[in-house]
Amino acid sequence: MGKFFYPITAILAFFSGGVTLLVLGGLITFISPDSIVQTLTSPEIGYAIQLSLVTSIISTTLCAVVAIPSGYILSRGGLYGQRPLVMLLMLPLSLPPLVAGVALLLFFARTPIGTGLEDIGITVVYTQLGIIVAQWFVNLPYLIRVMRSSFAMISPRYEHIARTLGCTDFQAFWHITLPMARAGLISGLVITWSKAMGEFGAVLMLAGATRMHTETLPIALYLNMATGDLDIAITTACILLGIAAVTMFFFERLSEGSERV
Amino acid sequence: MLFVDNVSLTLGDFHLNSLSLHLESPEYWVIIGPSGAGKTILLETIAGIHRPDKGRIYFEGNDITHYQPKDRHIAMMYQDLMLFPHMTVRENILFSMKIRKTDDDDIKEKVSDLVNILGISNLIDRNPDTLSGGEAQRVALTRALIQKPRLLLLDEPLSALDSMTRERLRQEIRKIHQHLKIPIIHITHHFEDVYALAEKVAIMQDGMIVQTGKPEDVFSHPCTPYVAQICGTENIFRGEATADGTGSVLNLGALCIRITAPYSGPVVVALRSEDIIISLERFRSSARHTLQATVVELIPSGPFIRVVLNTGIRMIAMVTRTSCEEFALKPGCQVFVTFKESAIHVIPTGELDDERRQ
Repeated sequence: MGKFFYPITAILAFFSGGVTLLVLGGLITFISPDSIVQTLTSPEIGYAIQLSLVTSIISTTLCAVVAIPSGYILSRGGLYGQRPLVMLLMLPLSLPPLVAGVALLLFFARTPIGTGLEDIGITVVYTQLGIIVAQWFVNLPYLIRVMRSSFAMISPRYEHIARTLGCTDFQAFWHITLPMARAGLISGLVITWSKAMGEFGAVLMLAGATRMHTETLPIALYLNMATGDLDIAITTACILLGIAAVTMFFFERLSEGSERV
Repeated sequence: MLFVDNVSLTLGDFHLNSLSLHLESPEYWVIIGPSGAGKTILLETIAGIHRPDKGRIYFEGNDITHYQPKDRHIAMMYQDLMLFPHMTVRENILFSMKIRKTDDDDIKEKVSDLVNILGISNLIDRNPDTLSGGEAQRVALTRALIQKPRLLLLDEPLSALDSMTRERLRQEIRKIHQHLKIPIIHITHHFEDVYALAEKVAIMQDGMIVQTGKPEDVFSHPCTPYVAQICGTENIFRGEATADGTGSVLNLGALCIRITAPYSGPVVVALRSEDIIISLERFRSSARHTLQATVVELIPSGPFIRVVLNTGIRMIAMVTRTSCEEFALKPGCQVFVTFKESAIHVIPTGELDDERRQ
């Protein structure tokens, strides 16, 4: 067995790569140049691209606003009730987004908090705001985890020194720890954004799939697949594939950068 | 000046246990103790990073227990320096000026002053990760000193350096202390740092300061076996003392020594290796103790040679290379060792051992 082990592992690794290439590369072969132009100029896809960009950028920003401070405090430890809090925060990571979506839908449609928001004019269910909320809820634990591990790699002694040099707690974080976590922060944001662009299950449940209203790129793919408009569906799929590829490229570049530091 | 009054603090595995320390003038203090004694958290607590669970800290007449680190005028430097990697040397040095928004001319004057003392003017535009150990050390010192602190805390500043650089930086730190006349608390586990730098020494053990004083007083009168051991007293023997009316007999296993001070019970006997005289023949002197010994081993140690002797028990004496050659010492030689009774330091251990076992 010994002399076969290495070749078998190598063959399996290349096999996995081959399958990925065949399946995803195959997708591209199904689109014709005509349908690309037709799809990209169609108002429906234009709308979906725009809606996806706007909602994903807003939800990523909101994720950052919450995840950077939370990840920081969790990385420094010593918070009362830290263990149960971390477990709670990380639970949605292993939850199917569809389940998160159902829970969000019931929360906003049926609980006093949700109906209260509705009463003061904040409607989340089946609206574009719902898209942002769904993306934010699903991606937040992920970004908290990334930020927590990025901050955890930075010795708190840098901040201690900064504080003896005249910094308040916040200044030490702002001038020292945050810039030192730059690589982790940027790659975390890029991945979060890309996940938000592709979020489907939770968005479908909370915001619904209304053509030209809550139609993000993945929803457009789903709707056109359902109605048999294969050309549009495939082109949409290729756009999402392209976004994933670009994201992965950036991510690899950034992680190379952080290894050099 | 600085008065740490009965401070207790627990942080994970480390703790301070009703620790008190009193600096009266701008002296150079060295705190020595084993790893895990809580030395670093003591410094961090003085700097204001941690708030004590109990006790107070007074500095220049003010109760600073609840002051923010930035308001204490206390600078600190870690062994691993913590130069900010995303800033150049200049930005590192000027960081406190930028944060505190200090007046420009003032900065220039201070910078050139310190940069000259420490000789780092050629490093000013480099990135911290391109500096050698000694260079990085000087930059970190400059960064700490630029804000004119009124107390400087050094956490094992010399431990990570090679012996040449360590010696040079020791001299520089001494120079800074004399030049700026600020008190320094320097933590170390290197005994040499005490000899080389300390005006006062404090021994720290299990979160407590167990002995303080001038180095020579502490070395010649260690108050616990642990103190004797870390003070570099090389001959430490455990034994039993029996009082016999006019003095006591120290039974150290294969060797008994009679002394005039009355002790009884379990003891540790400390005898500094420098206090042992080696001779080829028994000679008449005021020294009361002369023993016959066999040379077991010669260990070169800088300008000296440590001579391992068997007097029934293992003893170490320190001689110069010259006397070693003159006496033609080699393993197997029969010699006499002589020491004065005042060199024998007896530390009763009965109670202390019980305490330490708890």
